[in-house]
Amino acid sequence: MSLLPAWMWFAGIALIFWGITGVTQKLATNRISSELSFLWFAYAMIAISAVLAAFVPIHWHLRPVIFWAAVAGGTLNGLGALTSFTALESGGKAAVVISLISLYPLVTVAFAVIFLHERLTPAQAVGVGFAIVAAILLSLEPKPPDGKG
Amino acid sequence: MPRILGMPRCLAFSLLTILVWGAWGAVSKVASEGVDANTNQVFFTFGLLPLMLIVWRSPRNAGGGEGRRIGIAWAFLTGILGGTGNIAFFHALVIGGKVSVVSPVTALFPLVTVVLAVTLLHERVGTAQKAGLLLALVAIYLLSM
Repeated sequence: MSLLPAWMWFAGIALIFWGITGVTQKLATNRISSELSFLWFAYAMIAISAVLAAFVPIHWHLRPVIFWAAVAGGTLNGLGALTSFTALESGGKAAVVISLISLYPLVTVAFAVIFLHERLTPAQAVGVGFAIVAAILLSLEPKPPDGKG
Repeated sequence: MPRILGMPRCLAFSLLTILVWGAWGAVSKVASEGVDANTNQVFFTFGLLPLMLIVWRSPRNAGGGEGRRIGIAWAFLTGILGGTGNIAFFHALVIGGKVSVVSPVTALFPLVTVVLAVTLLHERVGTAQKAGLLLALVAIYLLSM
């Protein structure tokens, strides 16, 4: 258990939960529009927040920069959900669109290094590259065995 | 279908997704410097409200036919899983994970989708995906160093 740093376990939980949403999102949009899917996705977020507010201590008095960073995070994430749905609805093949948007950590890493002054070890830098290539490879659909569509 | 800035619409919206989700990762780290994961998730939800107001009036919200209830249930479950994943992601940042490392790890989520597709849906895994699975495990090891 101690082979991995503590943050890695939580990152792994996020990876698993977000990975499952790759399936549930598709099951939703097979039946209803991306807009309605987004609305119910957001209702679920509200439900989670209501449960958190009821059962765990929430710090309502935040410094303005922290408050706006957290709120802007929700808007950016939600906007990304909508634009990715729209990309898929605009005729983009799922394999291509998902592979392409898997590149988003490139922007995060750039922002983190430039604005947050984070530094990567050489092993981590190689790991970032491997992770991005791996995400793209995992998103590629296998060709049919007989080579036909 | 009309192009945007000379690009096909799907490419334009994919690039926009990269930009906003990429920025979200960095902004989440800023928030995590001053607040715990649960509080971050609550304020994150406030940020969804303007988008909900925009989408609320879409005429496409009425469709769905017989599968509407099931579709809504899957969308709601997506939100529950996504929100729970968010809390874990925020916690990884709060306890000291660098966003330049945590973000690429969590972006490996197609790993889970592929495993689920193979085990539950009995889908075939291609050579590229097998290479991706191996590379993902190596990446996780390197990123933990």
